[in-house]
Amino acid sequence: MANRSLDAHVARIDRQDKIATGILTVIVGLVILLVVSIIAYIIVRGAGRALTPGFLANPYNDEVLPGILYQLWDSFYLLLVTLVISVPISLGAAIFLVEYAPDNWVTSAAKTAIETLSSLPSIVVGMFGSLFFVVTLGWGISIIAGACALTMFNIPILVRTIQQALEDVPRSQRDAALAMGLTRWETTLNVLLPAAMPAIVTGIVLSAGRVFGEAAALIFTAGSAPARLNFASVNFLSPTNPFNIFRPACSLAVYIWRLTSEPTAGSTEIVWGTATILLVCVLLFNILARLLGKFLSRRLTAE
Amino acid sequence: MSKLDLTRRQFVGIAGGVAAVAGLAACGGTQEPAAEGGEGTEEPAAELAGSISCSGATSFQPLVEKAADAFMEANGDVSIAISAGGSGQGLSQVAEGSVQIGRSDVFAEEKLEADQLENLVDNQVCIVGMGPIVNANVDVDDITTDQLKGIFLGQITDWSEVGGTAGAIQVIQREAGSGTRATFENAVLAGETAPDSFRPVAEVDSSGTVVEQVAATEGSISYVAFNYMENDGIKALSVDGIDPTQENVENGDFLIWAYEHMYTRSDEDEATAPVTKAFIEFMLSEDFAATVVEEGFIPMGDMKVQKDAEGNVTPVA
Amino acid sequence: MAQLMPKRRLENIGLGITGFCVALVALVVVTLIFMVAQQGLSTFFVDGMDPIAFFTGQNWIPEQERYGALPMIVGSFAVTLLSTLFALPIAIGSAIFVVEVAPGFGRRVFQPVIELLVGIPSVVYGVLGLYVINSLVKAIFGDAAPTGAGILSGALVLAIMILPTITTLSMDALRAVPNQYREGSYALGCTRWQTTWNVVLKSATPSLMTAVILGMTRAFGETLAVQMVIGGVERSMPIGLLDPASTLTAALTAGLSNAVSGSEYYHALWTLGLLLLVMSLVFIMIIHLIGRKGAKANG
Repeated sequence: MANRSLDAHVARIDRQDKIATGILTVIVGLVILLVVSIIAYIIVRGAGRALTPGFLANPYNDEVLPGILYQLWDSFYLLLVTLVISVPISLGAAIFLVEYAPDNWVTSAAKTAIETLSSLPSIVVGMFGSLFFVVTLGWGISIIAGACALTMFNIPILVRTIQQALEDVPRSQRDAALAMGLTRWETTLNVLLPAAMPAIVTGIVLSAGRVFGEAAALIFTAGSAPARLNFASVNFLSPTNPFNIFRPACSLAVYIWRLTSEPTAGSTEIVWGTATILLVCVLLFNILARLLGKFLSRRLTAE
Repeated sequence: MSKLDLTRRQFVGIAGGVAAVAGLAACGGTQEPAAEGGEGTEEPAAELAGSISCSGATSFQPLVEKAADAFMEANGDVSIAISAGGSGQGLSQVAEGSVQIGRSDVFAEEKLEADQLENLVDNQVCIVGMGPIVNANVDVDDITTDQLKGIFLGQITDWSEVGGTAGAIQVIQREAGSGTRATFENAVLAGETAPDSFRPVAEVDSSGTVVEQVAATEGSISYVAFNYMENDGIKALSVDGIDPTQENVENGDFLIWAYEHMYTRSDEDEATAPVTKAFIEFMLSEDFAATVVEEGFIPMGDMKVQKDAEGNVTPVA
Repeated sequence: MAQLMPKRRLENIGLGITGFCVALVALVVVTLIFMVAQQGLSTFFVDGMDPIAFFTGQNWIPEQERYGALPMIVGSFAVTLLSTLFALPIAIGSAIFVVEVAPGFGRRVFQPVIELLVGIPSVVYGVLGLYVINSLVKAIFGDAAPTGAGILSGALVLAIMILPTITTLSMDALRAVPNQYREGSYALGCTRWQTTWNVVLKSATPSLMTAVILGMTRAFGETLAVQMVIGGVERSMPIGLLDPASTLTAALTAGLSNAVSGSEYYHALWTLGLLLLVMSLVFIMIIHLIGRKGAKANG
């Protein structure tokens, strides 16, 4: 009797286990299907336009085949300026938090500040930028204002990855360096940073992917009107000079938003084409991050 | 920039540019006139030179961009930065002096406080006509102003009440603060406001979106500028029997229209004021009028009526 | 270099440089909070609006100078809660599968796949929502959703966006459960499901809750993707899930360009920004509370 009910119980929990596993398998299958179909859908809708010769090389106001050359340039230029500003600051902040941070309120306040920054909606960063960088500092709607807004968005991500990378360096290496009479600063520069470099580079490239696709923080800081560039321009103050950091700019992501909120005839095609290019760029950043990380760590361990 | 003098320009420009960037980094401003090194001395003193920015309404931005292209083509040392931000941003930026020209599709009096209006100069550069549009499947072609008012106040909710086949009227609005919406409501609602309970099916950001949404939504109605009316899936309605055409606006028969304004400052910096003035003059010139018409706007010179900030329409003297 | 410079000085330089970076970040954050608060509170202290009327007012009609933020507050919470509801079972389900059932598959296939989803920029989700989800909602519900834009569409787009956040964090949470717990449970003759349900999920609960809150933070603050699909109706309260509505973020995006700096409307928009700021601080506090409780529960 007891045996029978035990058998029944075992049969029941076995069935339960099988059903649960079945349901979980279905869920995972659906998630993978979702991801694959999202990416496939975007590429199917946009590849035709994205691969059309000239789409990447023509300006947006080309009458025959409007392209995204200027937006592409602006996206990469904004990213570059952002990284130039945010990488040193994040590196410094992360080193401070890992190596120096005294265990007191200053440190915990700094940690809280970075955490706050990480959870801020990007539109709040954008509206702050539109007042502080654009008006208070007098930079106007410009690449530098946009890059500063993106920096605020990027710093928490970078600080966290660099911190992690530094903390992952084996304790023994740090102790050895300190035991040899190096200061903490020398240890950091000569031992910790080189050892953590693969992870740091991977982190920077990954964060670049995030920055590349960000739009909300840019609309009110770098502007949403497509820039008109003149690559032959040599006047660095001209709003058409591609390198002028005080000119307005429009990145790929902002351009997509702009075109969907102010569609014109034929803009749907351009939206999908641009979305495909944006997606491919972001995926390339992800792949590049992995490859670079692997490459660097192999070189480092080989030495 | 022609290819012939590229090398000379490159040389002078780089030298000037480097010096200027260093200067800029120190002062952090964009509004300096282009300090192109020694180049100014080589060219006639009367030539326009300078860099101005223009921000604001998106509705006639393409027109201003065309004008800027042509103007910069003719004046090699002038650069005009055009950014978008909406009428509100354009007006506040010109009032603060952070841009030289603020584009708006409403009178500044409607948005700014009296003290901000001081020193602002209203340059009306063209006229835009607007009218109601409906989904192409709606079998109504003409509507009275009263019926329009009823629809946008939420009192008329079915097409059968205005002579069409029965079916719900789906109202698509522009977002609060849009100049197009202000113009339409001033002309049609005559000061009345829709009850709080009234909900449009969408409030959208731009005329382009209005066209897309009206084309895609059965029984929908909204309003756009004339230059958006030639689209598939939508049709324009005549109002009180008058077609929405350029002629009818010019002679004062069609009532829904507004000026496109480019506000400037009377106390603008001497370095940029001549450029700003010349650019506005260019936009109003006979030569440019053809482009204005091409882009779907009405040149100032063609109007036989005028409107003031309070909305009173009078014949042009 | 090291010989030329005393060690103490070198150490101070390092401390100075890195300390400056941290101070700069902290300063920017403080400036941000100060400026948002200053502009946002102007609604009440300069324009003299009643805070209670502002946060409970059911109509946001700037042309009549009526600023009631409730429609957007309700919109923001509705899309956040709904999207979490959609994403949660899927996220936790897949996390369980890849950690408990098929760890190898999880690391080699599922993790990279789900990371692809994280990488997609939010405007691209917006485009998908606008052209695909809105059309789907419209096709399914017909006249009840004439344009397809509304709370449901917004929540669906957000659910896809926060799915990878919750999933990856849940995976981390489950992986962090010590293996002895599982072994103990198996030794008692429990099935895998019983182990997962009674042991693993139980002990991972605080971390799972953190995962959910972080997902909600992302949903609450997401801007463009929502703005593109929700319909943007701020005038009065949304009544049903198919109603077009607006969120705090969407109202900001649409409104900022039309408002004149210093005007009542402009201040009112900053008050919405302040509310977003406060909410993200609240989310952080909740995460800290959960962390502290979890630490206490685990001894």
